[in-house]
Amino acid sequence: MSILDYLNDQGDRLFDLGIEHLVIVLISVTLSTSIGVTLGILTYRTEAPRQAALRLTGVFLTIPSFALFGLLIAPLGLGTSPVVVALVMYGLLPIVRNTITGLRTVDPAIVESAQGMGMGRYRRLLRIELPLAWPVIITGVRVSAVIIVGIAAIGAVVNGPGLGKDIFRALARVGTPTAIPQALSAVLGIIIIAILIDFFFLIVARLTTSRGIRA
Amino acid sequence: MSTTTSTAEPMIRLEGLTKVFPGQKKPAVESLDMDIPAGEIVVLVGPSGCGKTTTMRLINRLIEPTSGRIILEGEDVTDVNPDKLRRRIGYVIQQVGLFPHQTISDNIATVPKMLGWDSPRIKSRVDELLSMVGLEPATYRERYPKHLSGGQRQRAGVARALSADPPVMLMDEPFGAIDPITRDRLQNEFLRLQETIRKTIIFVTHDIDEAIKMGDRIAILREGSAIAQYDTPERILSAPTDDFVADFIGAGASLKRLNLSRVRDIALVDWPTAGTNSSRAEVLAALRASDKGAVLILDEQRRPVRWISGRDLGREDEPIAEAGHLPEAIIQPNATLADALNEMLKSRVGCAIVVDQSGAYQGTVDFATVSGEIQDMRRDARERSRAEAEGIHAEGSVNG
Repeated sequence: MSILDYLNDQGDRLFDLGIEHLVIVLISVTLSTSIGVTLGILTYRTEAPRQAALRLTGVFLTIPSFALFGLLIAPLGLGTSPVVVALVMYGLLPIVRNTITGLRTVDPAIVESAQGMGMGRYRRLLRIELPLAWPVIITGVRVSAVIIVGIAAIGAVVNGPGLGKDIFRALARVGTPTAIPQALSAVLGIIIIAILIDFFFLIVARLTTSRGIRA
Repeated sequence: MSTTTSTAEPMIRLEGLTKVFPGQKKPAVESLDMDIPAGEIVVLVGPSGCGKTTTMRLINRLIEPTSGRIILEGEDVTDVNPDKLRRRIGYVIQQVGLFPHQTISDNIATVPKMLGWDSPRIKSRVDELLSMVGLEPATYRERYPKHLSGGQRQRAGVARALSADPPVMLMDEPFGAIDPITRDRLQNEFLRLQETIRKTIIFVTHDIDEAIKMGDRIAILREGSAIAQYDTPERILSAPTDDFVADFIGAGASLKRLNLSRVRDIALVDWPTAGTNSSRAEVLAALRASDKGAVLILDEQRRPVRWISGRDLGREDEPIAEAGHLPEAIIQPNATLADALNEMLKSRVGCAIVVDQSGAYQGTVDFATVSGEIQDMRRDARERSRAEAEGIHAEGSVNG
């Protein structure tokens, strides 16, 4: 059976799995962004907490995904929740790192003149520092999202949603005529989602960055 | 030492202001007393590391003083909310620090927005300020800082500092990062602006020439922000209190004094003029009636358009408005004599043409005028130091 025949036959089901995959990635990236940016804001000004945040989120990324999903079964059971938690953890490092880098590379003269005009700490962060760091932060989010698209496939081991299901099903039936087309079409789907997400965040970055600081 | 002579209440009074940075034994600013009179430009100048920038930042409390008081308009502001205090004090730094992600209009609106002005009021204020600093509002309002030249950014920075009409402005080397020619123009523009806005300005620089040009008063500071001399530029140039001040002023004090006299303060020299529609005979008559070698042609608004010499008149084919050559070396009454001298060196006729704001001819300045002024200043300084030497004998001490 060729992959084209397979797609023709299973197209609708694959599309539904693709949507599931996309949704879980977007949920995880959104959570990861809120946690990561907050962590970055809280730690970027002082050396020790900054290093701790980077090291901790760095360690997350080194845990093999199979192991992490397995470990999360005990507290969270099977299904969507362990997958989301794991994906959020994997997504943190690029976001935290870019938030810290972005905030730390804002020209001190700009921050000083904001302070000199009577902008308080909070207003300065919201109106000046975050908008100026934004292009760097959103790039971190984009990298995170693409990483998560691939890792989400492994979520199927804990019964998570998405295209990973088809990959694991196919792997369980290696030797049958549909195994290869099934695995290949799921992989293809994941690649397409990754490209779409990358492109989506590129557009978001463009639309949310002030014209005054666009390259 | 106490140095102020003004009797009116000062805009800013610093009392025993001291800053010791953590981990340092020596204070960066040590027990500074200073009165800053309303409506004047007071320049803090001194070698690097003397604490002049620290002193300025103590005033808007970007650096919190270790001890001492800051009195603004008679009110002790040492302990008030610093953000609220800073909205009453304009602030311009060398790097300007415009917000790159905001339009020029949004940049200028920063403080008015925080003060809760309504948007029509903000909009009209922004336009007013842009015109005031010489940026056409319709062109520049919606631009971003990256679209502006260094000089234009500096002007926008001044407009932003003036936005809520603060009584006081702090300027930290505001023209330091700008090329010399633009710097000179911006300094002149700023002085002209100050004539109308009359703000109390504290201006930090390390450049004594800039201090002399910009300051109504100059405070020369030595280490620990100790005042070596606090006086008018004239007095500092003619009567430095000690070797530190004399060394800091450096050589060429009499040339520097040319920066202190302005063209409007001296008698202008009349020059033969004629209108663009005059006949050749009329121009020739004007030339013969004077001892000069050329006639200045003015248009209907009395703006200089051509220089015509006797030789140019010989070429009958050219209309009067196109004969001769274009007038160069045009200056305004607020230019300094140093500017005038500089310009007349470039002029073929050897004089600088003085025009008013609208560009209409007022008169000229020539070498004889400038050298006469130098001699006058020398004589004044000599007489003053003689009088002072006698005063010291009489009273034992003289100051301010």
